[in-house]
Amino acid sequence: MKWWLIAWREIRWEVFLDRASLLRTAIFVVIPIFFVFGNRGLPGGQAGEATIVALALQSVFFPSLAGVSLIAATFTAEKENGTLVPLLAAPIRDFDIVLGKLIGMVAPVLAACAVTLAAAYALASYRYGAERIAHTLTPQLIYALLVLSLLYLVTTGSVTMIVAARVRSSRAAQQLAGLVIAISAAVFGGLGVVASQLADGWALVAVGVLLVFFDVGALEIARRVWQRGEVIGRI
Amino acid sequence: MIEVRNVTRRFDGVVALADASFEVRPGEIVALLGPNGAGKTTASRIIGGILAPSEGDVLVDGISVRVDPNGVRARCGFVTDQPSLYDRMPLLEYLAFFARLYDVSSPDHRAVELAKLLGLDDVLAKRLGAFSRGMRQKVAIARALVHDPPVLLLDEPATALDPEMAQTLRSFIVSLRARHRAILLTTHDLDEAQRIADRVVVLYKGRVIRIGATSEIRAGGKPSYLLAFAGEASAARDALSRIGIEAQPAASEDGLAALRFATDDPRRTNGAALRALLDAGIEVVTLAAEERSLEDAYLAILAEARQ
Repeated sequence: MKWWLIAWREIRWEVFLDRASLLRTAIFVVIPIFFVFGNRGLPGGQAGEATIVALALQSVFFPSLAGVSLIAATFTAEKENGTLVPLLAAPIRDFDIVLGKLIGMVAPVLAACAVTLAAAYALASYRYGAERIAHTLTPQLIYALLVLSLLYLVTTGSVTMIVAARVRSSRAAQQLAGLVIAISAAVFGGLGVVASQLADGWALVAVGVLLVFFDVGALEIARRVWQRGEVIGRI
Repeated sequence: MIEVRNVTRRFDGVVALADASFEVRPGEIVALLGPNGAGKTTASRIIGGILAPSEGDVLVDGISVRVDPNGVRARCGFVTDQPSLYDRMPLLEYLAFFARLYDVSSPDHRAVELAKLLGLDDVLAKRLGAFSRGMRQKVAIARALVHDPPVLLLDEPATALDPEMAQTLRSFIVSLRARHRAILLTTHDLDEAQRIADRVVVLYKGRVIRIGATSEIRAGGKPSYLLAFAGEASAARDALSRIGIEAQPAASEDGLAALRFATDDPRRTNGAALRALLDAGIEVVTLAAEERSLEDAYLAILAEARQ
């Protein structure tokens, strides 16, 4: 359970005490709520329902973007400050370090996603009527949206960690994170649209399961790319 | 306690350490010396289980770094030249975090204990980012001692410390030796190594080129002697030259002239030198053996290796 020690340290001392990352996350939390607030009216029927779902999707997706950026910075910041060496000298498996860092970033961002979704739900209920919103955003759909954001975060986070392990500076990592965000958003969106058209939507479940396997694989690749010799050499 | 056995380490085809072998026993301080890029830091990182050797093996307390790197890490305390601290964390939280990583039974208690030991108990709640360089290095030492390891790997621990702080650190390292810790001190500070190291390992281009007790290393090579006399230095050199002794001018004191010469056979040479000088009318005041510093010995070893 040493990954939990690393994750908790990240959450308590790095995420919540880093004003820049807090500000960035706050901006990504406010944007989707602003979209709900700024939307003047909803069309009736399926078009209106689609708009409500799109607003809810934005509410979990935008804070996730901040998470990818956070994950990109975590490894490079440690490399820049040399703080990885004491961690590497401690009796911890490399996988625990990688997992702990990922969870330390994903957990607070997922909480931000949940808070944004709740705020968007409350605001939409106030503006468009609670009954209409409750009819469209069922508990199952909300659960699915949160799972989707978790999958997105872990997947893009793992890929970002692989990329960040290869670069020297936080700045380069942030730039690469932008690239990962753009590509992953396109791939996620494309896969989602295609899968939703197949087998009455069951293909979406298959995509979800595939993503879980992909994430485990990506974490292992991150661990291997992030070789001790490589990291030490770069430090 | 530490056995380095024919260790080789390559980085992208470049050999950083080549077939290195040496050992550090409990209650012993071994200084690992060498120019930049000699492989000192690589060696200490391999011993500490941070890096895996490409070939060979290291045993720490009988545990192979290849078989059980985590077991090796649990037995080593590692101090680097840069303290490398998490600046946002307060001291108590920082030390307790590492104590938990090392499975220390009472992390908070141990953190307080170490802070007291190093004179940091009044800043336990202060963030590490606000600490001075000396205090940060103390924290790095406390971090290395958090699990009371039998082996300490100190990589340039006194870098950027003021002389008083460096002296305090030296005393502390010596006190750890008295507690039977095996200590590998990687350093460029030859004065520091001369003062506290029991033995010396010299690395050059990744190879071990000399191992020995500090006193043996200093005594190695031709013993040199210092002559102090009243009179002309040139006349004294000529007199010595006539009996085959090549003397060099040395720093003089008390208004006396001084010459230095080296010999393999002081019993014969020194007597002959004195007679030659007295015959030439030179008033010899002292003839004394010169003790070589570790720095002189180290430079001579490196010069030999380069040749």
